[in-house]
Amino acid sequence: MTSYILRRIISTVAVMAMVGIFVFLLLRLAPGDPAAIIAGKSATAEMIAGIREKLGLNDPMPVQFIRWVRDMLGGDFGTSIFAGRPVLELISQRLEPTLSLSILTMILSVSVGVSFGILAAWRTGGLVDRLLAAFSAFGYSVPVFVIGYFFIYFFAIRAHWLPVQGYVPIERGLGPWFVHLVLPTVALGLGFIAFIARVTRASMLEVLSEDYMRTAAAKGASSYAMLFHHALKNAGVPILTVIGISFAYLIGGVVLTETVFNLSGIGRLVVDAINNRDYPIIQSVLILTSGLYVVINLTVDLAYTLIDPRIRY
Amino acid sequence: MTISRREILKAGLAAGASLAIPSVLRAQTAPMDARTVHMVKAAGLSIFDPTVTTVNMTLDHGLAIYDTLFSLDSKFMPQPQMVGKWGVSDDKKTYTFGLRDGLNWHDGTPVTAADCVASIRRWGQVKPGGKFLMARASDISKKDEKTFTIVLKEPLGLLPTLLTQSLYVMREKDADTPATEAVTANIGSGPFTFNHALAKPGSSFAYDRNEKYVPRSEPSDGLAGGKIVKVDRVIWDLIGDQQTALAALQAGEIDYVELPPADFYPVIESDPNLTLQVLDASGQVYYLRMNCLQKPFDNVKARQAVLHLVNQEAYLSVISPDPKYSSTVTSFFGDGNPVSNDENTGWFKKGGDPEKAKQLLKEAGYAGEKVVILQPTDWAEGSNTSQVLAAELQKIGVNAELAASDWGGVAARRVNKGPVNEGGWSIFITTESNSSRGDPTATESLGASGEAGWFGWPKSAEYEALRAKWADVQTIEERKALASKMQQLAWDLAGTVFLGRVVSPIARRKTLTGLIGMPELVPMWNMEKA
Repeated sequence: MTSYILRRIISTVAVMAMVGIFVFLLLRLAPGDPAAIIAGKSATAEMIAGIREKLGLNDPMPVQFIRWVRDMLGGDFGTSIFAGRPVLELISQRLEPTLSLSILTMILSVSVGVSFGILAAWRTGGLVDRLLAAFSAFGYSVPVFVIGYFFIYFFAIRAHWLPVQGYVPIERGLGPWFVHLVLPTVALGLGFIAFIARVTRASMLEVLSEDYMRTAAAKGASSYAMLFHHALKNAGVPILTVIGISFAYLIGGVVLTETVFNLSGIGRLVVDAINNRDYPIIQSVLILTSGLYVVINLTVDLAYTLIDPRIRY
Repeated sequence: MTISRREILKAGLAAGASLAIPSVLRAQTAPMDARTVHMVKAAGLSIFDPTVTTVNMTLDHGLAIYDTLFSLDSKFMPQPQMVGKWGVSDDKKTYTFGLRDGLNWHDGTPVTAADCVASIRRWGQVKPGGKFLMARASDISKKDEKTFTIVLKEPLGLLPTLLTQSLYVMREKDADTPATEAVTANIGSGPFTFNHALAKPGSSFAYDRNEKYVPRSEPSDGLAGGKIVKVDRVIWDLIGDQQTALAALQAGEIDYVELPPADFYPVIESDPNLTLQVLDASGQVYYLRMNCLQKPFDNVKARQAVLHLVNQEAYLSVISPDPKYSSTVTSFFGDGNPVSNDENTGWFKKGGDPEKAKQLLKEAGYAGEKVVILQPTDWAEGSNTSQVLAAELQKIGVNAELAASDWGGVAARRVNKGPVNEGGWSIFITTESNSSRGDPTATESLGASGEAGWFGWPKSAEYEALRAKWADVQTIEERKALASKMQQLAWDLAGTVFLGRVVSPIARRKTLTGLIGMPELVPMWNMEKA
């Protein structure tokens, strides 16, 4: 196990290096110039050239790359070209909304999605299964911005039950924090509930048709014992994989939800940075997100051993 | 089945809690207090130094936290703001300015003449009005702690007006920063202080009332007069999605949306709590610039072809469908400015003149060279007008194609003076304040100095000679006569072609009043919230 983890960590370094080179080149080869954006629409070429020089953007690309890697290895992820603040400070400001939304969405999606999946598998072919299949199709196919605006109209503008937009840090009270996250969580969660429910149902059905399940039934095991003690445990590996992938996807992919509900999270930070060509932010977020993906995948792989003792590394 | 008393109690508690949820939620989403104004600005604030940029958000930020030596009143006349007593020598070459009492930086230290001198020098390196002044000044120096002088080589009656052009006074140590490097201290002497603790770049910024600010005694008038702040805090919320911003305005979570899309106007007008208000009655002029250094627009006839071709109504229909907020514009100096005139505007025809354009293209010897239009896809109006332009050009046989990118891509590519096959360009579309077109000393795009000038690089020595006289003429009649001569040349040169003028209303809740209407800038003093 230890050697497996070490191997994975070493491969992580290689992956991160590839990501770093790719991200750096991609940004520098894309059209756009942060100096031109800083200077504004009516700026002169002279103003833009002066700003470029000051930002070090006229240095050769290898020099810029080496400087970036050197600083990053020293723990310095750079300073935002526009905000003039350390990138890590900006990321940490934005991490809370994204993590809050992601964690709440995962709690909702896993609890509801797995329950729906088990229920659908248990009542396969019946009305409940068909209703849940319809719900899954709906949840999976309706884009978050459609369902988001729908929620905003009914629950915020018409009913005044919930706020339209914004994020309140948890330090300002659990109530306001939670209330501001209800609509985005449900809007974002619908797709994941549908996804997890579909995978859980398929996985459960496969296990429920196994011989040992028939044996358990013949021995008089209760439905509860069959579903939760025998079936769910054996169906757990694909479900866990999907949950892991979903969580990793959530961290990096909540930008639409953040935009619709005006949550100032990591997604919005990156989109703004891309529009402004704020290279240090884009590079750092992509590197950190890639690292997070790798860590989540490693965690999921290790968690397999807990669910299925036959898996050994 | 029997139901126990305990179960009934449990059910009652659960039902009561359920019924209470809406009121609990309402309490959590209660409207913010009346002393805080939430504004959704037209774009995010990403640069904090109004000297290094021309971005309007930064200029508004500057207006809040910095003060100015002179300010324009509602009639666009310069009035002293930080300056108290001032005068000019008999030979009209030496101006002496004394600072008024009560001016302090947000860090508590007093504003000095040295701060003003350093700020003027920095501003003079980059801003058009500043560069103009520096070319005419022989000395700018402090006389004592509260007095400084500007000594000129030749008289310059326009001097107070020049000092109103984006000259924000900073502390000397900040103003000593190179003009290419942004100052991020955000310490000014203006009526608002920047709340560093609440600053969340890309999300929101907060400005607090500067309780120690001493306003002028005159009533507020345009950007001049007493800057009296009537709220405790103004928060700029950046809401990236316009639909969400409108919903937040309807729900009372915000008070002001700076640039609502035109298709939201009916919704806003039908809401009894909301209203549209035009703050900038002068509006924005949309125009295109052609690359005068490369084929086919290095030929003046080809440029004139585009001037004759453009059907302004077609462009306005995709920029601002409601005719109440748009108009065609023919004067090179904008619509409704003191020097606007009708000289040499015979090119304007309702619907454009494609036949004349074809003829001019033929005379230019156009041989099918590729015409690349830079299309900014993240700016809806710019993108739509680019498509209309491409279609108009293609109809008269021009080999036009769109080069799509975001505005960042356009801004970077328009610097390239080379041919299109080497990453150059032929046409880009942009906007400018209609009012700024009334002053060629302050507006780069009104120049014609060739490669030393603004993107597109039209060149006319005759025009530039007239432009240089602008600051020397004394009366408005003389200036109008000069403007007519310049316009005659400018429309023959045809480096710029207008697509129309648009006035954009802001949307606000009716509880927010007292907003000051001036071109481009939105001051935050004087506004009140019920």
